[in-house]
Amino acid sequence: MNDTWTERLSEYIDGTLPDAERAALEAHLAGCTACRTTLDELRRVVARARALDDRPPAADLWPAIAEQIGVSSGAHHVVSLAERRTRRVTFTVLQLAAAAAVLLLLGSGGAYLALRRPPVEGGGAIAQRGPAADLTTSPVGWVQKTSSRYDAAVAELQSALEQGRASGRLDSATVRVLTQSLVTIDSAIVQARRALAADPGSAYLNQHLADTMRRKLELLRRASALAPART
Amino acid sequence: MELTSPGAATLRRDPDQATGGGGTGDAETADVALAASGDGRAFERLYRSHVARVHSLARRMINPDVADDVTQDVFVRAWSKLGTFRGEAAFGTWLHRLAINVILARRTTLGTERGRYYDAENVLDAVPGRPVVHELSLDFQQAIGRLPDGAREVFVLHDVEGYKHEEIADMLGIVPGTSKSQLHHARMALRKYLE
Repeated sequence: MNDTWTERLSEYIDGTLPDAERAALEAHLAGCTACRTTLDELRRVVARARALDDRPPAADLWPAIAEQIGVSSGAHHVVSLAERRTRRVTFTVLQLAAAAAVLLLLGSGGAYLALRRPPVEGGGAIAQRGPAADLTTSPVGWVQKTSSRYDAAVAELQSALEQGRASGRLDSATVRVLTQSLVTIDSAIVQARRALAADPGSAYLNQHLADTMRRKLELLRRASALAPART
Repeated sequence: MELTSPGAATLRRDPDQATGGGGTGDAETADVALAASGDGRAFERLYRSHVARVHSLARRMINPDVADDVTQDVFVRAWSKLGTFRGEAAFGTWLHRLAINVILARRTTLGTERGRYYDAENVLDAVPGRPVVHELSLDFQQAIGRLPDGAREVFVLHDVEGYKHEEIADMLGIVPGTSKSQLHHARMALRKYLE
């Protein structure tokens, strides 16, 4: 085996060998069985590495993580992404209307509070929730950083919702309730943004805006899941 | 260690394309936004989507015995840093790079670095302090774990994870030539453990 060439076999496999050296190596390989064997073995090592499977830990690490970050690791059922795409949603219009009514109340009340409540020095009691804690240190940052992603997610979900409506998979009563709820939430978002513009340092207003945006996302996600489920 | 975006890295095993690993598109984008606003359930969904990949990376890069602990650390760090995620890369890519940074930092903290780089072909035999295991009883994954730290890190990052030598050199604080050399030695050593 020619050690000089053997040392270059990995670069040859990876395609990083300069043209002249590659040509010389190929000429050498044509007459060197040992190097061809080594080359084949190295290729198999690379293929084996690429085929390695990812395996989850033997024990569920989420409870310990949840404890460290201060969120509940309760026994609620966790819905996987694939499951969320395929499961049938069983909300009735009445259930949806009830949820929307709550959202209406929360949205209006929150916006009212947001506009009435004086700025809270240091963020008060809302500054302990992981990333949301950033709101106390860079209050305006979160909204700015996530705005484009949020807008994209909302646009995508609204598009799915529109398709559900156009295809008739959402009945008119449901669409009416959804539309009213979204109008109210949008109004709350506008008011919260307005209040935030007047008091950009308010951790409370940032939190309120984030919560309102989250409610809109959640409503849209539920509604878009509802649309394809009603076939 | 500063967390950086993965630059131009095009991972062969892109976490957002791998089967069963990582979320996709809208649902994950929404979960990232929700988690960034403090939604624990959204973050749990992200955890469940990516934990296998992160844990496997930790297991291969550092040590199976501490993989659980490192994985927890990665997700705790991710939670606290979600506000800095700007969406320039996919969430899975961002998380993967964060995991590598945590693993490399942990490696230093543990002070378990055995001979990092070897010139000898038979690098597995050169590892000190490792239990004596008959070579034929080692499977491919175990053999990766017996490589010297430097060779193992380069091999996992290049051949398993798909990073380029320049990126690996930047992560590990070495020159690309060393990365290439260590990769070759690791591959040569692992030939004996092909099933």
